[in-house]
Amino acid sequence: MQPDDVARALSTRLGDRLLGVETFVGTAGRVRFRADAALDTFHSVHDELGFRHLSMVGGIDWVDHREVFYVVWSDDVRQYLILSADLPADAAHIESATPVWESANWHERETWELVDITFDHHPDLRHLLMPDGYVFHPLLRSFKLHEPEELEVKQRSV
Amino acid sequence: MSEMWLNMGPQHPMTHGLWNLRVKIDGEMILDCDPEMGYLHRGIEKISEDRHYNEVITLMDRCCYVAGLAWEHLYILAAEQALHVTPPERADYIRAMCDEFQRIASHLMWYAAFVQDLGLMSPFLYGMRDRDLVLDLFQSFTGARMTYEYQRVGGVRSDLPAGFTDRARKVLDWLDERYVEYDRLCLGSTIFRERCDDLGKLTARDCIATGVTGPMLRSAGLKRDLRKDRPYSIYKQLDFDVAVADAADVTARYLVRMEEMRQSSRMLRQILDWLDHHPGPVLADRLPRWLGAPYAPQGREGYLLKRNYPKGLGFSSVEEPHGEAQAYVVNEGGEHPYRVKFRSPVFANISAARHYLVGYHVADIPPIMGSVDVCVGEVDR
Amino acid sequence: MGGATLFSVSDTLASVLLNGLGSIFPQPIHGWLTNPDLILGLAVLIFGAILLAASMINTIVLIWWERKLLGRFMDRRGAMHVGYAGLLQNFADGLKLFRKNTFRPRESDSLGFYAGPVAYMVTSLIIFGILPISSGWNSGALPLSLLLALAIFSFAPLFIFVSAWSSNNKYSLMGGMRSAAQMIAYEVPLLLAVVAVVVVSGSFDLATIVQEQQNYWFWGPLFLALVVFVAGMLAEMERIPFDLPEAEAELVEGWNTEYGGMLFAFFMLADYLRALVGSILVVLLFLGGWTMPGWVPSAATSFPLAGIVWFMVKTYAVFGLFVWIRASLPRVRTDQLLRIGWNRMIPLSLASVFLAAALVLVRCLPVFGCLPSPGV
Repeated sequence: MQPDDVARALSTRLGDRLLGVETFVGTAGRVRFRADAALDTFHSVHDELGFRHLSMVGGIDWVDHREVFYVVWSDDVRQYLILSADLPADAAHIESATPVWESANWHERETWELVDITFDHHPDLRHLLMPDGYVFHPLLRSFKLHEPEELEVKQRSV
Repeated sequence: MSEMWLNMGPQHPMTHGLWNLRVKIDGEMILDCDPEMGYLHRGIEKISEDRHYNEVITLMDRCCYVAGLAWEHLYILAAEQALHVTPPERADYIRAMCDEFQRIASHLMWYAAFVQDLGLMSPFLYGMRDRDLVLDLFQSFTGARMTYEYQRVGGVRSDLPAGFTDRARKVLDWLDERYVEYDRLCLGSTIFRERCDDLGKLTARDCIATGVTGPMLRSAGLKRDLRKDRPYSIYKQLDFDVAVADAADVTARYLVRMEEMRQSSRMLRQILDWLDHHPGPVLADRLPRWLGAPYAPQGREGYLLKRNYPKGLGFSSVEEPHGEAQAYVVNEGGEHPYRVKFRSPVFANISAARHYLVGYHVADIPPIMGSVDVCVGEVDR
Repeated sequence: MGGATLFSVSDTLASVLLNGLGSIFPQPIHGWLTNPDLILGLAVLIFGAILLAASMINTIVLIWWERKLLGRFMDRRGAMHVGYAGLLQNFADGLKLFRKNTFRPRESDSLGFYAGPVAYMVTSLIIFGILPISSGWNSGALPLSLLLALAIFSFAPLFIFVSAWSSNNKYSLMGGMRSAAQMIAYEVPLLLAVVAVVVVSGSFDLATIVQEQQNYWFWGPLFLALVVFVAGMLAEMERIPFDLPEAEAELVEGWNTEYGGMLFAFFMLADYLRALVGSILVVLLFLGGWTMPGWVPSAATSFPLAGIVWFMVKTYAVFGLFVWIRASLPRVRTDQLLRIGWNRMIPLSLASVFLAAALVLVRCLPVFGCLPSPGV
């Protein structure tokens, strides 16, 4: 599957909310979509293109904005596809992918706590790697290494 | 006994690492579970932002401490794509050899831990004993037994020592005989079959929904192996079969891993033959100066040339012993990667715990989690 | 083997000691010290001390034996460094445990927490005191010594459960529950297997049972009972494949999770003491006890301690079998264990009782020969 095929298949449903499909060596392409089209994109990629397996969700802090990317795999074409959306830094939130891919659950929890991207309608948005009550987001560029940080760990509720 | 939550971990013999499996039990039955991770979080992704490309390799060994070389390979593939570097062919073969030996070592470690969870005491030592032979091989060309720091962007640090291939073949011969012994110890035991058959079922459908990969997925009858489906490195040239089983239970996972070790032996023999007949360089000669060869960056002149750095994105996916591992490297110019993101297969495998634990007994937790093959280092990163 | 028994030896020792001591002192003290009651009291003390020392030394050597055997099964050497071939390693370990701080979880129940291990240890010691090891080493000499030994043996689940419950730990509690369920389930087939032996030998006295086996060991004709007895013993001793109460993979250390230092050492020692007692019972009931087979030259038989040596060789061999089983089998699950216990072992043990009854009727078997004396 080539980036053009992906673009053709997605554009019918997404229209101008699909920002483009770039070539990415080793994958079927890198789909760039607008954050408000998240659920539609997920559904089309999952149902129509057959990418049934979500491998990873990650976030990148570009200082002026944030990027969230998804890596999905299809057993039919045996290729990866990368989905990516830009989010404004002051309101970084996007629809959760858990209704489409159940495996997004933990990946989104991790992305939320590390890169501070909120996933709307996530069933269980708790801390995963960091202690409960941790208020920092370590993978933001503003989180400097080598600097003492104030840890405020609240009591865990069990 | 009424229902209660039981914390299995973070210090518990079952966990094989630092994590906490909270299970809700009624007597001996598991009603619900909730894995808690993060006890081993070292912030490898954050530290990588501050490290030279070659320095991240050190972190990769710590990422998964039983499959360090496989993780090095994973990162190197992504980094090379992001930096537009191509390694010489011999280096590719050596890396594939590392991968397969690492798979054997990791599976032997898994075997030892898994049978120990079942209460089988002797095979635990057998697995560790045989893994040591593989570690000896690693030591002979990397100088280390667990934290290798062997691969480099653009190749590997050094060529194999003289006589290595013969020694490696001897180890493979020994191991091939041991696999038969292992099978006799486990599959030949009625108690083993009673314990493991129909245990920890996870169907192919659930596997895909929950992102489970690796031997767990193949034990459900799905023939997916990145080495075949998306051949990276030199796997296209190798002749091997993908190990699959149908039962989707603990025994099936055992069978898949055992067969994978045999297939690794088969691949290794081909790789060793190739290595015997194709001497050559193991490090690309046209590396950017600041990438340095063979070790850390020489001086810091890289800062002066910042404009000339190539930018790029790197993505790699490797069939690691535990499943499909992925790396996403963002190169924004400079000595350090802008962002490195890893996908750990065990991370996804554990996240599906509710699907394969609920409904079984407390006594089933160790064999089931053992069959998942948890390596907490790569889950928490 | 003369009239020298363990008690007569300690009696002689006591009287020699007190008479010797008394001869130093003038009359009133001399009379005091050579008072027969005092001599008897000291004799009892010496007797008990010998028993205690024998049980402790045997237990520790048994642990060494297990460690060495397990090591060999696992393709390694076992303890090597302290003493010859690691013989003193367990004494060193015991010393270490002895020096450790004894602690108790704050929320636990102090009485049960401390009384449990002590009672467990004491009952195990009592059984060892009752069991005869040779014709001289026969402190019990009770007509019902077998019943008494097994009765004390079955106290253990109570103490285990008490200490598990008072630990106030979920793992301990689960281990205690499992332990109680398991021991009760396996008590029945164990006793039924013993009944088969009793039917054939016609006595509850262990010494008599051994004498019956002078030329006719019971393991052959009562093989089924032996199998049931060994399996039941494995469960009672909580060894792999039946070590669920302390299955370290899921229950950390089972019912003794919260114990450390000397209290843990008590459990450990009592466990091995029970293993020793179990092996001794197998030898007594099925393997002819201290009776020598015919081919042993009489010079060796007349040696005073020959019976004990011969007995211990057999005991350690039986325990070696237990170790072998431990080295090569995985553990079963609770429900499987109980199913095996109630559904398989009890019918098997009943069958063995019937076989024993038939044997008493037939009296002679083609290969094994004839019973020496009329049974029940």
